[in-house]
Amino acid sequence: MANLETSLKECLSSIDGASAAALVDYTSGMALGTLGGGKEFNLEVAAAGNTDVVRAKLRTMELLGLKEEIEDILITLNSQYHMIRLLKGRGGNGLFLYLVLDASRANLAMARHQLRRIESELEV
Amino acid sequence: MAVESDVLDELHRIRNRVPQLTGSLAATVDGLVLAHDAPGTEPEGLAALTAAALGVAHRTAEATARGGFRELLLRGADGYVATYAAGPAAVLTLLADGRVNVGRLHLEGRRSGARIGELVADRIGQGRGRAPAAEHVTSPAAGARPIDTLPVRTPQRPAHRPSPQAGAHRRPT
Repeated sequence: MANLETSLKECLSSIDGASAAALVDYTSGMALGTLGGGKEFNLEVAAAGNTDVVRAKLRTMELLGLKEEIEDILITLNSQYHMIRLLKGRGGNGLFLYLVLDASRANLAMARHQLRRIESELEV
Repeated sequence: MAVESDVLDELHRIRNRVPQLTGSLAATVDGLVLAHDAPGTEPEGLAALTAAALGVAHRTAEATARGGFRELLLRGADGYVATYAAGPAAVLTLLADGRVNVGRLHLEGRRSGARIGELVADRIGQGRGRAPAAEHVTSPAAGARPIDTLPVRTPQRPAHRPSPQAGAHRRPT
């Protein structure tokens, strides 16, 4: 089991091409923890904006009558990947991990696999 | 009178950007309404209550050495009330329902607060020819309470200066 700081550090150190990571509470849109980012990439803005993404998807699924859960969401930009992974169980309800990857350096399958592992070990 | 309409434009803008917003109000720190976009609420009353809350917030921040006032967030069972500093002379109060994205509310509220602060500062600058920004540094030197010395604006509706708030933000000097 790993705590929040350790998990965020592991996101950036063990996932190739990762440049920023955050744990976000999508009931409020605020980040519980952030790492990386900086002036040119404001993770507070990203947390609030991606909260709307997650909420929109959950609501769409509800309207469609899908009794499923979101495992992860992948957003592909020209030069970046953004990954959202929802936390399951252990008080992690209502939280997601958000990861920014450099598309030219990242291995998408590996990144997704690693993020799943980090998420399963995270204790909030 | 340009300030009121500019501030009102800003209130409309933030209303469009945060869909869960149910109302917004810009007021002076002493409880006079600058502009409001809050159907179903009495703006004068809310401005007066905001001023009272600000008084307590100021003193709490001062007593605990937290620096100048930035924002206040109240969460009720059915929603939020958030108040953001808008320069030294004004505040922005936002009402939102319980499903609002608080992160976004903060981002938009801070941005709008700063914008309204600029609009008000421009007006004060014209009227007084002094730099109001200096008052943002709340310090012991602020023994002369800047809040009360600011030019009082004409509210949009017939003014009744709420009496309980008259001394609310007075600090022991």
